[in-house]
Amino acid sequence: MTCRIDIDFRPGEGAVLRLIGLVERRGFVVRAMNLPETRAGASARLTLDVAPRDAGRRVETVCAQLAKMYEVVAVNSAQPRALEAAS
Amino acid sequence: MLTAAAPPPPHDTDPKSSARPGAPLVVEALAREGVDYVFGYPGGAIMPVYDALPGSRLKHVLVRHEQAAALAADAYGRVSGEPGVCLATSGPGATNLITGIANAFMDSVPMVAITGQVGTSLMGTDAFQEIDVFGVTLPIVKHSFIARSADEIPQIFAEAFALAKGGRPGPVLIDLPKDVTQASGPFPPSGPVPAPAGYAPPDAASMRAAEAMLRAARRPVLYFGGGIAIARAEAALRDFHDRTRIPAVATLKGLGGLPTEREDFLGMLGMHGTRAANTAVMESDLLICVGARFDDRATGKLDTFAPGAQVIHIDGDASEISKLRRANVALPGDIAAILTALDPGRLDIAAWRARCTQNAADWAFRYDAPGAGVYAPALLNELSRQAGDRFIATCDVGQHQMWVAQHCRFSRPQAHLTSAGLGAMGYGIPAGIGALFAEPDATVVTVTGDGSIMMNIQELATLRRYGLPLKIVLLDNAQLGMVRQWQELFYEQNFSEVDLYDNPDFAEVARAFGIEAFTVDRRDDVPGAIDRLLKTRGPILAHVRIDPAENVWPLVPPGKSNSDMMEAS
Repeated sequence: MTCRIDIDFRPGEGAVLRLIGLVERRGFVVRAMNLPETRAGASARLTLDVAPRDAGRRVETVCAQLAKMYEVVAVNSAQPRALEAAS
Repeated sequence: MLTAAAPPPPHDTDPKSSARPGAPLVVEALAREGVDYVFGYPGGAIMPVYDALPGSRLKHVLVRHEQAAALAADAYGRVSGEPGVCLATSGPGATNLITGIANAFMDSVPMVAITGQVGTSLMGTDAFQEIDVFGVTLPIVKHSFIARSADEIPQIFAEAFALAKGGRPGPVLIDLPKDVTQASGPFPPSGPVPAPAGYAPPDAASMRAAEAMLRAARRPVLYFGGGIAIARAEAALRDFHDRTRIPAVATLKGLGGLPTEREDFLGMLGMHGTRAANTAVMESDLLICVGARFDDRATGKLDTFAPGAQVIHIDGDASEISKLRRANVALPGDIAAILTALDPGRLDIAAWRARCTQNAADWAFRYDAPGAGVYAPALLNELSRQAGDRFIATCDVGQHQMWVAQHCRFSRPQAHLTSAGLGAMGYGIPAGIGALFAEPDATVVTVTGDGSIMMNIQELATLRRYGLPLKIVLLDNAQLGMVRQWQELFYEQNFSEVDLYDNPDFAEVARAFGIEAFTVDRRDDVPGAIDRLLKTRGPILAHVRIDPAENVWPLVPPGKSNSDMMEAS
């Protein structure tokens, strides 16, 4: 089951690595990603389509972990079922 | 870490004249944050900062290995509640910090780790003593910075300290390229920094739901962890416990949240928890989890943990709630405020309390082991009781660590400094150093093993250098005891690489470092040994030889339910 996570963040040094790294370390496979051009001083949006590595991984938990990161402004996740139907 | 062969970076001109302007910003930033002590070790890329240290208000503690700097800073942070600061050079200096940074991350300890780095033009070129410490530490820091220009230094330090201690604390790394600390000013003052994450008031409906669950429960258990110490919420916890008298259990990091001897406190739960604590949790119909995270060492096999219990989860970190065990009521926020506001009224739990109290009495630890040799649990129990409320234990990792948790008396959360999440052998002596700088009047005892002490034994030199009155109890079974215990119980007694028959004479080693030391072999000598430890004003090491076959009991086998506890046969 693939879920989509939208992460709005301040694109400081290492931010993208930090975000993707957390998602992978917390038990999700990144299936696809999109990062439009970032500009200094402006916030950016990273969109990840992710799948849990096992049934014990909850997207709500990884979103909460992302949300407390310093450079993260907002995190939203699509309903897994809706995304599955669209893919 | 500076070696004679180290060539100067190409941008080095006159270090004396060029080092002054940028590096003092680092020292000024630390002073502005109220930092008193920096634990560190100098080397090439961090030399401009060391050049700026003399004459500042900062007191630098020179350790003998960077890992000890990070572990001492960790303990300083746990005791003081303020970020511990460690400092090292680039490359191997930075990588040597990593175990300590990871330790602080796993146990949510406020820390600022500062590393030197090769000049910015050399970064990414595999320069001498270059390592991408920013990248290497990404998974084990709360945040990290590279100062790309000197005028960023004040702001970076202000943000780093706010981040390290705000919300759920953790380590923050600041990497300082050498050309940045050598750059010239003028530099602007630091700007606004993020306020520590404030908590919204607890949700009223959730509070009422939690109170209703408490009133309906007949077998509730209060299960608390390291979040109590992090939030400095022990007063609120004790007040809540006074009002409710709910039987309580602690995680390894929660010990001291309630005083050990308190009525209705059943001790530690989990792998080496008490039978009374694990039994209460397994029989409970409601768990009030406060500042704990359902760690596998506490829960055993998770899907059999407290099988009949609903869960109220109170935590300062919302992402911990329902991470491993679904909460029926979630109360993220200020732990102290929530506990203070939670008022369920009179609870109908008298029969349950009586049952738990009786279990605790029936299954209490015994200290009348047969024989004339030293029984380590009895020694630790008596030592901690005689040390009183100023007692702080720092441990290494292994059997002795679990004996400390099981048998020592703790009057406050800061009395028990242990590498809980990471389980890092080598923590004990550096942690004792950090604790003594944070609280010089405390009676700090490092309990270590003959395996663990060798991981940071060089820090005996630091004790000697600063005259730190650390009391070291070295429990020597000439084995890697916990590994041997597991090989005995779970690997068909196939003892593999655990025999430390060739240990040095530890008392002689300590004396070689200028540390008073003595050896204890017989139980009859224990009272005198405790007396000597507590009365000695300087550093002292008691080398205590114990039975190599002694095991830690009880024990929940790995992967098993907490109801499957093993006892000594």
